[in-house]
Amino acid sequence: MDQRIRRIYAPMSESGFYILLCLQIPNHGYGIARQVKEMTGGEISIGAGTMYGTLSKMENDGLIVFYGEEDKRKLYVITELGQEVLETELKRIERLYLNSKGEYIHD
Amino acid sequence: MTETKFRFFTIADYEDEEIWLRKMHNEGLKLVKVIPPGIYTFEECEPEDVIYRMDFSNNEKDAQFISMAQDFGWEFVDKMIGWLYFRKPAEEADGEEQLFSDDESRADMAAHVVKTRLVPVAIIFLCIVVPNLLNAVNGKMSGLSGFFAAVFGILFVIYVYLIVHCGLKLKAIIEENRK
Repeated sequence: MDQRIRRIYAPMSESGFYILLCLQIPNHGYGIARQVKEMTGGEISIGAGTMYGTLSKMENDGLIVFYGEEDKRKLYVITELGQEVLETELKRIERLYLNSKGEYIHD
Repeated sequence: MTETKFRFFTIADYEDEEIWLRKMHNEGLKLVKVIPPGIYTFEECEPEDVIYRMDFSNNEKDAQFISMAQDFGWEFVDKMIGWLYFRKPAEEADGEEQLFSDDESRADMAAHVVKTRLVPVAIIFLCIVVPNLLNAVNGKMSGLSGFFAAVFGILFVIYVYLIVHCGLKLKAIIEENRK
C-alpha cells in the first residue's frame, strides 16, 4: 500500500468503508446501497451520487475492479489492494473499540 | 399545457435551484426542459411534493450515472450544459434524500464545479475580457473603440460579479462540508 492510498483511505469515510466491506462479494451500486441499509438498520443510507463517485474513485485507485454485468448494471469486486486497505481499517476500528472499553493493545 | 419561466441561477446556486423546482412542483408545475441561460419549461400537473436534485458531471459518466440514479429511484428529467436534473416524490424518498449522502462527496461536487466551471470562467476573464477592456480604454475613445470599451466594461462588471459571487458561495459550501 503506497503513501497516496494510505493518505486517502486511512481512515476511510463511513460510506467508503461499507462499500468496500460489501464488495468482498461481487455486487453493483444499488445492491450495495440496499445491503448497507439493511445491515445498519437503516442508519446508513448511501446516495446515488456518493455511490457512483466512490466506486469510480476506488476503481481508479485499484481497490476494486469491474467484475461483470448483471441486467446492465456494473458489478465490482474487491482487489488484493482493496482487501489490504479494508483490513487496515478493520484493525483501526477494532483498536478504537477495545480502547473505548478501557482495554490496552498488546502486540 | 406548458408554461415557460425565466430564472437565472449561477453555477453556485444549485441548492436554491433545487428548492425552487420543488416549490414549482408543489404548485402544480413539473419541470420538462431547461435551456441556458435559465429558460425552464414546465408542464401542468397535480401539485405534489417532489424532491429535485442536481448533479454536475462530465459527459463520459452521464449514461452510467443516470442509470445508477434510476436504480435508486430517481427520475432523470433533463440535462443542461453539465447539469443533470433528477426528481423523486418526497414520500418515496429517504427523508430529505440527496444524491450525495455525505459531507465529503458534497464538498467534492462543489470542488468539481470550481475546477471545471469557475476556473475556466476566470481564465476567460483574465485572458480576454481584461486585455480587451484595457485596449479599448487606451484607444481613442471615439466611434468603435468607445463602443468596445462599453461592451467590455459591461462584461467586466458581469464577470467580476459572477466570479466573486460563485467563488465565495462554492467556497462556503466546500468549507461547510469539510468542517
